[in-house]
Amino acid sequence: MTSLIDLICELSDIPGVSGWEDPVRERIVSLVQEHCDSLHTDALGNLIAFKKGARRPKNKLLLSAHMDEVGFIITHIEEDGLLRFANVGGIDTRVVVEKAVEVGPNRLYGAVGSKALHLHTEKEREEVADLEKLFIDIGARSKEEALEHVQLGDRAIFHAPFLSVGNDCVLGRAFDDRAGCALLVKLLQSDLPWDCHFAFTVQEETGCTGAAAVGYAVNPDIAIAVEATTASDIGGVSGNKRVSCLGKGPVVSYMDNGTVYDSALYRLAFEVAKEEGIPCQTKSLVAGGNESRSLQTAGTGARVMAVSLPCRYIHSPSNMLHKQDVEDTYRLLQALIRKLGNYESA
Amino acid sequence: MNLEQILLDFSAVTGIAGREEAAVALGAKLLEPYGKVSVHPQGSLLCRVWETDPDAPHLLLDAHIDEIGFIITAIEEDGFLRVAGCGGMDRRILMASPVVIYGKQGPVYGVFCSTPPHLTGGGEKKNLKVDEMYVDIGCTKEQAEKLVFPGDRGTLYASSRKLLGDTVCGKALDNRAGCAAILYALELLKEDAPRCNLTVLFSSLEEVGGQGAKTAAYQVNPTHSIVVDVSFAHTPDAPRVKCGLMGKGPMIGFAPILSHSISRKLCDLAKEENIPFQTEIMGGKTGTNADQIASTRSGVVTGLVSIPQKYMHTPVEAVSVADVENTGRLLAAYIRSLGREEKQ
Repeated sequence: MTSLIDLICELSDIPGVSGWEDPVRERIVSLVQEHCDSLHTDALGNLIAFKKGARRPKNKLLLSAHMDEVGFIITHIEEDGLLRFANVGGIDTRVVVEKAVEVGPNRLYGAVGSKALHLHTEKEREEVADLEKLFIDIGARSKEEALEHVQLGDRAIFHAPFLSVGNDCVLGRAFDDRAGCALLVKLLQSDLPWDCHFAFTVQEETGCTGAAAVGYAVNPDIAIAVEATTASDIGGVSGNKRVSCLGKGPVVSYMDNGTVYDSALYRLAFEVAKEEGIPCQTKSLVAGGNESRSLQTAGTGARVMAVSLPCRYIHSPSNMLHKQDVEDTYRLLQALIRKLGNYESA
Repeated sequence: MNLEQILLDFSAVTGIAGREEAAVALGAKLLEPYGKVSVHPQGSLLCRVWETDPDAPHLLLDAHIDEIGFIITAIEEDGFLRVAGCGGMDRRILMASPVVIYGKQGPVYGVFCSTPPHLTGGGEKKNLKVDEMYVDIGCTKEQAEKLVFPGDRGTLYASSRKLLGDTVCGKALDNRAGCAAILYALELLKEDAPRCNLTVLFSSLEEVGGQGAKTAAYQVNPTHSIVVDVSFAHTPDAPRVKCGLMGKGPMIGFAPILSHSISRKLCDLAKEENIPFQTEIMGGKTGTNADQIASTRSGVVTGLVSIPQKYMHTPVEAVSVADVENTGRLLAAYIRSLGREEKQ
């Protein structure tokens, strides 16, 4: 059986920029289809699975993770063969300049170019480049040559290695949210105490579009978004500014920029973690957001919670996860499912 | 000779200024078929290719083999590393770049980081200086101290890859592309009888001031020298007047520190041999090893040939294989002409 970390890296290596999640979905289908009682892809491209558990739960449970990742979209091809692009989802321009990228379904190698540092004025070196001034160079010397390999609308991703870092961490791209997808795949491959619905959603990074349709179609009582969230426990950052920390377990949120979470479920998560001896933390700042906002308000609404993996350098080519957090998050999700099937709030 | 493969291999090996050993080992392997190879105490690689009449001209063909990188300056209490540039690090490109540090027990991986944008209150509009950033190797201080030591070098993680057409992309092509061009020239001259004294220098420490070329040139004591380096290939955001064009051949340098007769001779030879070329005019010094070599001992007649390169000092430096090949052809033509002149 593939380890969770290996599965995260395998899924994260697949390109799946918002609106073009097909290759990720195909791989997930191959991993889960024999473990599901029903599996279908909806009109938007969401993959929705149902798996019977030992018993039928009192609460209809849905776990979701988004398949899409932030990236780039090719908007124009210059006469000299250089590609102009826009970002898809939120990306700090500082992590884009002079990075290696892969363009289109065939993962054509290229570079985000700009003039050499020697040709910048001191002021230009300090200023963050305007994304519109950057371009992707695939080596084509003319528009015609570029068009043989690239179509407008093609997506591009960071070309990034997957590396072991320190004793306990792993570095790579797109852990937000292939890490969540991997956790759901593992749950689907396991025996469950209750019937559960699982959704691998599209277009989270561009407005949580996919989850809205899933929430409407599944109409759960309780929905858990499983994702990766900001950990800023890095040099020069202290106290609550760290938001969350690597190695301190799954992050359960009370509120972020998109959602006020169900407070009974929020408290329950910490009780369950304590009972099971699983470290668990919350965000120390109201920051970020995820598709819980869509799940909460779809159809007649659902009670929502978010269980997140703390992740450094999210939305960059170098995301960092702690291996123990991955294991702890998996255990917490298992424990929560056990509890939530017949959960009745006070 | 498979120039493309040589470029990819040269780009993949490490040789950060002052720690050129791995690049020098590859350089030595590639130079050995052409002459006696030795390593200078300052880390440069020398190859005595032709040895003939001591009164004949002695040409020193130089390309620097070192690359830019960074050097660990401190390990902080929380295990994050402080670093300084080892050569001209482009601070615009560091954020979230994966890195490789050459630690005492082998490679250590990490990532460049700084206080994230949501905490800087608009600070995301600024590129931080190298010494304001950290390298995260996922370690506590105690763990980090076992793996790295201040003074260890690192580079941005890079892949050596082909782009479309004949473009090769990777780190350190500044100036391994120059080394490759010299190797190509030697291959072209393989069957020639020695026409002059010829020494090849793959010099160390160019990116931190040119100490490698300065000391090796003193030792070799040449009469003539050609320095091969890279220069700017034009991109739409760059001033055209300061750039050459990728794929349009070697850029022949003209500058006060350079010998005008060599510069002219190189242009004439390129025309005679139908080698595409461009010129690069500089107002003072060249910012290359040519500045060091020209003023060695009582002075050396020196020329400069540059290979157009995009994205200099990044992990995605790009050169055209044809430009490297044509640079090698031009060097071979010059070496042949130097021998001819002396016989007349």
